[in-house]
Amino acid sequence: MSPKPLNNTKKGKTMKSPRLRLSHRRTASGALALITIGALAALSGCASTDQSASDTAATFSPVAQDNTSEITVWADSTRLPAVQAYQKLNPDVKMNIVTYDGSADGSTYLQTKVQLFDRTGSGWPDVVFGSPTDVTWASQPTTAGSVPFAAPLDEGLVDQSTLDNFAKGSLTPCEFDGHTYCLRNDIAQVVLWYNKALMDQWGYQVPTTWEEYEALGVKVGQEHPGYLVGAVGDTNSQESYFWSSQCPAQQLQDDGTLRVALQDTNCTRMASLLDNLIAAKSVTTQGFFSQGFDGSKVLMANGPSWYGQYLFNSAFNTPAGQIAAANPLKWDGESDAYTGNVGGGVWMVSSHSKNLAASTALTKWLTTSDANLQSAPTYPAYTPGATTWLANPANSSYFADDISGPFETAANQVWTGWSNTKFSDATAWSSVVLPAITAGKTLTETLPAWQSAIVNEAQSVGYTVTTK
Amino acid sequence: MTSSTLAQRRPTDGRRASRFASTLIVVVILALLVVFFVLPVIWLLLAPTKTAGELISQFPLSFGSFDQVGAAWQHLTAFQDGVIFVWLKNSAIYSAGSLVLTLATSVPAGYALALTRFRGRKSLLTITLVVMIMPSAALVLPTFLELNLFGLIGTVWSIILPFSFYPFGVYLVYIYFSTSLPRDLLSAARIDGCNEWQVFWSIALPLAKPVVGLIAFFSFVNNWNNFFLPYLVLPNSDQFPIQVGLNQLLSSTPSFNPVAGKGLNITSPELALAIIIAILPVLILFLFSQRALVSGMLAGATKE
Amino acid sequence: MTTLEADRLATTIGIKPSRRRGVPRRRPGRAGLTGYLFVSGYTLFLIAFGIVPTGYAIYLAFTNDRGQFTGLGQFIKVVQDYRFAPAFFNIFVYLVMWLVLVIVVTVVVAVILRARMRPGLAAAFRFVYYIPGALAGVASVLVWLFMLDPAVSPASGLLRAMGLESFAAVLAPANLPVILVLIAFWTGAGGWIVVMYGALNNIPDEVLEAARMDGAGPWKAAWHIQIPMIRKWIVYMAILAFAAGTQLFVEPQLLQTASLGRVSSTWSPNQLAYVYAFQYGDFNGAAAISLFLLALGLIVAAILVSRSGLFKVDDE
Repeated sequence: MSPKPLNNTKKGKTMKSPRLRLSHRRTASGALALITIGALAALSGCASTDQSASDTAATFSPVAQDNTSEITVWADSTRLPAVQAYQKLNPDVKMNIVTYDGSADGSTYLQTKVQLFDRTGSGWPDVVFGSPTDVTWASQPTTAGSVPFAAPLDEGLVDQSTLDNFAKGSLTPCEFDGHTYCLRNDIAQVVLWYNKALMDQWGYQVPTTWEEYEALGVKVGQEHPGYLVGAVGDTNSQESYFWSSQCPAQQLQDDGTLRVALQDTNCTRMASLLDNLIAAKSVTTQGFFSQGFDGSKVLMANGPSWYGQYLFNSAFNTPAGQIAAANPLKWDGESDAYTGNVGGGVWMVSSHSKNLAASTALTKWLTTSDANLQSAPTYPAYTPGATTWLANPANSSYFADDISGPFETAANQVWTGWSNTKFSDATAWSSVVLPAITAGKTLTETLPAWQSAIVNEAQSVGYTVTTK
Repeated sequence: MTSSTLAQRRPTDGRRASRFASTLIVVVILALLVVFFVLPVIWLLLAPTKTAGELISQFPLSFGSFDQVGAAWQHLTAFQDGVIFVWLKNSAIYSAGSLVLTLATSVPAGYALALTRFRGRKSLLTITLVVMIMPSAALVLPTFLELNLFGLIGTVWSIILPFSFYPFGVYLVYIYFSTSLPRDLLSAARIDGCNEWQVFWSIALPLAKPVVGLIAFFSFVNNWNNFFLPYLVLPNSDQFPIQVGLNQLLSSTPSFNPVAGKGLNITSPELALAIIIAILPVLILFLFSQRALVSGMLAGATKE
Repeated sequence: MTTLEADRLATTIGIKPSRRRGVPRRRPGRAGLTGYLFVSGYTLFLIAFGIVPTGYAIYLAFTNDRGQFTGLGQFIKVVQDYRFAPAFFNIFVYLVMWLVLVIVVTVVVAVILRARMRPGLAAAFRFVYYIPGALAGVASVLVWLFMLDPAVSPASGLLRAMGLESFAAVLAPANLPVILVLIAFWTGAGGWIVVMYGALNNIPDEVLEAARMDGAGPWKAAWHIQIPMIRKWIVYMAILAFAAGTQLFVEPQLLQTASLGRVSSTWSPNQLAYVYAFQYGDFNGAAAISLFLLALGLIVAAILVSRSGLFKVDDE
């Protein structure tokens, strides 16, 4: 196709016509105005550009309730079937089920939308699935005068006895100012996954300390080139490794300041361990979840409890009966093992809900009922539910060994010094560290850049940061 | 294109060697560009015929099987109970709705700017030109707040109304009428006793068919492909147009979001199929309206 | 504005109404009233979605969320943000590459197609180059996510030859402007080639014939005669390409999602404004960033327009 210009250039040129442009006079007067404003700003001491300070949370007062009104539920695609199952069991509850990304990988979709709803004064979902990071803003008013999005569940909605049954520390991200703003859906304690079939075949011992892990990794690199004992290229690898190593990457202090100290030996020891293994080619800088990753070459993976089903079973298609889990690794000379946590969602009820009864009932069913938890896709945070989950053969038959021991042990070993902050810990890791190590830099030399990225981000959302 | 003028060109001869060299350069440039522009399209069309595994293991431009297309289709339509059809329907409503409003406002406006005289006409024209080159994304935030003020957030109007504002269309109509509509014709009609409305409706509008078609095409395509505004202002996933829906599909694809549901079966081939479905309406419109669009332009051109 | 429509616009710009016979002699009152009626719908939209948002953005940028006047405070605040300079630097690099590439390639290809091709063949080429234009927006980014992943890309050989073994390596921060330029070029260049071809088609054959008589080869003729004669269209393309470039949002945003956060969520200024507005709830800061973009786009357009006499508002 060929549009033909309607006239020729020559003709257009010969005809003089006023052109669209800013006249000099207008530009000049614009500049003058700008200078005047600037001068005014300088002279009069303008108002502060800080956002209005959010008032301390007022007591929660529900809106007028209507126990028959429809509730809107936002879930990620993984938890969608559970919500649908509830709808099937309770057909008389009017539900509008919406899927979204579930705040995975530091997505701020939920926060964005709640900001919008706070502006518009309507539209909030009644029940949402989100990440622990979401609770940090949902428990505070987004703007002055607005009500925090999440309803305090301990105020007459959920019994204290129920709350007490959640795994130790799993509700910590939900708690602010003495109130509980969410129920933990699942925890993702980090365990050591390994391919038992291969380990047996090659006569390797499953490591119990990081030093043994490192030694084995070097050995694998020499004896079975191409096989891997780990990967650091995923958006959450830092939680599997640095969190487990008790690295104070984002540690909230008692006085409210945030400690970001990546030169701490707890961080440097893990960085150098990984650097050694990357050099030995038994730890890859790619992510396990990158497209086309060859899962048959994975001998070990230090990662969350959901790796079993999501990584080995569905992404790698590793045959059943090969994969097993071991207790979290500890460091030589330390008495206790600590581990990390990779994800694990929460359910929140909106404080704006017109039907708190139905919303809370759904949230409780999702997080505490055996009916739902026994076949939940990930390890439940509710301790009785976790027992039921582990007892369900469907959750363990895939594995070569009983996973209950390591899962239960690890669930109680999650290090509490990696705080749930207003910003996602994935952002700095993914946008600063991963590109650097992909480009061939070592983790040890990337630590300063990582540190300043976290510090920048923390300060931009209002933390006072200490780096000691 | 005017083949008559091309035919008049006579080949020049001489300087064979340099001519050969430059021909070679030309062929290489054109061929590389063809590969660059076409290869991704071919890959896209072939992708749904393979499984996610085959996409990686097989030759990228190989054909899988039609069965696999069927499987991908089933997975895709099973995603949230066929929400993709809802998205397509939404896209159609938003695009068509704003198309109607665009035409209803921009055609009379362009006509009036070109052929009638009123105070403020020139400033209106100037402002139109300024907003045409203004980065519109910079205005999405204030637009959102404004829509909120009128309580339109969450309604179809929050998309349709902003989409309907189409200064480019006005400018196009203005140009068309001011260059190719004989004023004498209008004067004659007026003398015959037509009022302004009748002149516009029964004389000017029928003559403007080509340019109306053009605006309709661009407005539709533009709105079909718009992402930012709906992404921002629509709260519910069942209100999304297909473009925003594609984004959601992306975040449900395991290789782009590791914790995405494993039972969803949304993998690369399904994503590719969704892309094809999303662009299909535009592509079809594009292929079928080619001739009409060109002739519209040419009709405009030959009027002089 | 897509290039699709841009090429239509280009075909009509530079037009001077051929027969400006004066306005029909009628009583101004009546005609004026009709005029107002005819433009009323459009004017309403113009005010609602052009003028009011601009005014509101200006108001927001000079106040805080309590409505107090802050002078240039918001501007100073966003400029001092650690992400502000990188974001503007990113689009600066992107714009330079994008403008150079799109101008050089489209003009060269249009010259070739115009000068050395049988019309039918030239039309076929133009159509082929134009096809990706239908895949604007989200679709094009998704396609390129696959094209850039060595695991599935048909060009994996090429990627590997450049030392890019994985999708992660492809998405290195230094490559991002190139990637975004590729995507923009893929969807947009075809339309511009059509525009440039149309512009060249407009040059009278006698002019080229005369040049040939004087012994100018096809390249020389292109450089000395054809390109200067389509200067206006090139400027026009530069303006629209520039405006589109400053608005970059969808592409980096999707890359951010798809790369699992390897691409910064504040890569472009528009994304930074988005974060300000919706993560921090700071609409004032967001408006200040938007105004920077708006000013940038308008200044550049104003300079180019006034230098080239591009758009014309005819007057009597």
